[in-house]
Amino acid sequence: MLSKITVSPAPHISQNLSTRGVMGDVIIGLAPAVAAAVWFFRFQAVWVIATCVVSCMVSEWICNVIRKKPNSLGDLSAILTGLILAFSLPPMIPLWAATIGSAFAIVITKMLFGGLGCNVFNPAMAARAFMAASLGALMTTWTVPATMGEVHYKGQDANVLATVHAENLYGGSAEQAALTQATPLAWSKSAQKGKADIQPINQMVKPMFYGGVGGCLGETSVLALLIGGVYLLIRRTISFHIPAAVLIAAAVFASIFHLISPDKYATPAFHLFSGGMLICAFFIATDPVTAPLSVKGMWIFGAGVGALVMLIRLVGELPEGVMYAVLIMNALTPLIDRACKLVPAGGKPNVS
Amino acid sequence: MAEIRGKCTFPGGAHPPENKQFGENCPVEVVPVPKQVSILLSQHIGAPCEPLVAKREAVTAGQVIGKSDAFVSAPIHSPINGTVKDIALLPHPVIGRTMGIIIDADAENNTPKQPVNARFDKDFNPADFRPEQICTAVREAGLVGMGGAGFPTQVKIEPNPRLEKKILIINGCECEPFITCDYRVMLEWVWQVIAGIRLAAHAAGVNKIRIGIEDNKPEAIKIVSDTIEQLGNIGDIQVVPLKTKYPQGGERQLIKSILGKTVPTGSIPPTIGVCVLNVATCAAIAEAVMMGNPLTHRVVTVSGCAISKPGNYYVPIGMRVEDLIAHCGGLTETAAKVVMGGPMMGFAIADLSTPLTKTSGALTFLTKAAVTRAKYEKQVTACIRCGRCLTVCPEHLNPTKIAHAVKYNKLDLAKDYYLSACMECGCCSFVCPANIEITGYIKTGKILDARAKKQLG
Repeated sequence: MLSKITVSPAPHISQNLSTRGVMGDVIIGLAPAVAAAVWFFRFQAVWVIATCVVSCMVSEWICNVIRKKPNSLGDLSAILTGLILAFSLPPMIPLWAATIGSAFAIVITKMLFGGLGCNVFNPAMAARAFMAASLGALMTTWTVPATMGEVHYKGQDANVLATVHAENLYGGSAEQAALTQATPLAWSKSAQKGKADIQPINQMVKPMFYGGVGGCLGETSVLALLIGGVYLLIRRTISFHIPAAVLIAAAVFASIFHLISPDKYATPAFHLFSGGMLICAFFIATDPVTAPLSVKGMWIFGAGVGALVMLIRLVGELPEGVMYAVLIMNALTPLIDRACKLVPAGGKPNVS
Repeated sequence: MAEIRGKCTFPGGAHPPENKQFGENCPVEVVPVPKQVSILLSQHIGAPCEPLVAKREAVTAGQVIGKSDAFVSAPIHSPINGTVKDIALLPHPVIGRTMGIIIDADAENNTPKQPVNARFDKDFNPADFRPEQICTAVREAGLVGMGGAGFPTQVKIEPNPRLEKKILIINGCECEPFITCDYRVMLEWVWQVIAGIRLAAHAAGVNKIRIGIEDNKPEAIKIVSDTIEQLGNIGDIQVVPLKTKYPQGGERQLIKSILGKTVPTGSIPPTIGVCVLNVATCAAIAEAVMMGNPLTHRVVTVSGCAISKPGNYYVPIGMRVEDLIAHCGGLTETAAKVVMGGPMMGFAIADLSTPLTKTSGALTFLTKAAVTRAKYEKQVTACIRCGRCLTVCPEHLNPTKIAHAVKYNKLDLAKDYYLSACMECGCCSFVCPANIEITGYIKTGKILDARAKKQLG
């Protein structure tokens, strides 16, 4: 009997959480968005998501074999990376491109840095940046959701799709506004340059909430993302600080621009609901590995992400800024951590 | 019983399953005299005692058998009548091995000591004793804090002209899961506890007394407040119900919860005029002052799924763990861990001949299921920087940073993140999803730091 008794440092009980559980929770949180993506983009979504998830898992497995490390697929982080990467890709992306992106995410940004917990950048965002830099037009070809009509299966080009999209929404009244681009954000970019009318853009908020607008797979339905985000907050898998900071900073930024020039800039509600803002606030910026540890650091990080997203959207040349905002703040995370060093409850000790 | 909700609390902390059901309703039971006891010469913080007896010398119950002239120390006494068998190295739950006195009990002429609770009542008046008299009695009885750290009580309550004490806080939280000994002491020996509290306050020259009890012990809150009410006009003494949260009974957390004040890092409570005593210590103070009884017995909770007869036992200090296990019906087949103390801060022991000390308030017997599988099999994964340890840390430290600094042998970095401010409550390891032994690393860091200092000095 004695041989069965073990010793170890205190405490001798644990809350029975696991990394796998944490990652699994985030995957459950993304489930409504997966459902929305499949509903709006049909089989195209299924193929892209499946390709990304499977190639992430295969890449991680190969890396482990080469590095002679134990298999780490059990922590589910590869699946999560695959999901988030798939969500940030356009629905029409060729599957070979999705595969290359997934391999980049896992091999270059995660495993080469030492695996889970050691990566500096969010793997999905780094991979997307790599793809945006090297695949060009493939990453900016958008389609309208399948629920808007069967057009995109007929191989029509983006401008026509955009017109169809706009006609479906507004009965053809906005065709000149939607002629150029298909995503609401690209549309608002045109408005900023004076090439489109801002009014129909602001009216996009409602369709964006339920879904069914053009854009990346994961950003079509605000409702699905909110359900997932609230689930994570209730489960306390993420703390509210980063999402709150991102959304507040973005809202403040957008409000200032909107108040200065309502004809040029869309409403804050539009900016909060459009593009990758919500998936960024709840699922990407909250990636614990690449975010600061302390509460103060989280506020700074979140506010930085929110402000940078809006800066790129409103001042920069690109229509969407989530990817670069997250990557820039990831790079700053070690500095933020160092700047926000915690002070013990009883103040700094007098003698060290 | 009306629901009592404690509002006072501190930031941080965790909510481990309370598991008090094992011993909550078991009255304190007197244990028969064991055949042999081993009294360790280092029972707690402070200088170890020098043995005053020789091999084969006869000792009587209550006789002083070890003593030290150091300021921070307490004498030790024999709990039984018997003969000194040997003075040898014995297993110690915390520091591995230390010198101890082994006493063989006399076969006849030994009756187990009974609790003395009944002798305290309304007529008791602490003013009958002079403060110096109380302090001397406490010192001679070898009293130390019975909550865990074991700081000599006399040093705590003695008036100190440089650090004047204004408030006496009595710790009846018992925030550790499984442990119920203080709860039973409050229920059964309430008169003795209050007598001890008043004596301590009198000795320390303190007028304001606050008794902190967690709100998961409504009966204790009720019985202590009722008794104070019955006593009538005995000064500013109040029971403060506290929120049930671990580590509410940590000295610094308790002060924060009750007074809203924080003890400066690296300092002791007297720097802000507070003295904290455990309820069991107070009961022992009353016994020492009124009867001159030394601290030779204490209440120990035996708890957990892996023991046949859990309960609260009145045990001679020095009794071996294995003897107590035998008295409690033995371990079950599923036993995986024997912990001296509670599961959060206690020490796992491998050698069941380890004797109980003045500070061991509990023995917890955990099964594999209670330890949780991942922890039992020591499945550690990489830190994902989730920050849960920062959220629960009651001292607002960055546990993961300190732990990793120690792991990679960077003591300077660990000290830079206030290694020494950690009080090892274990909340960080408890919540860690990656199952990293954060507290274990921090303890290692402290030991390494102490060694480095020794080499320098």
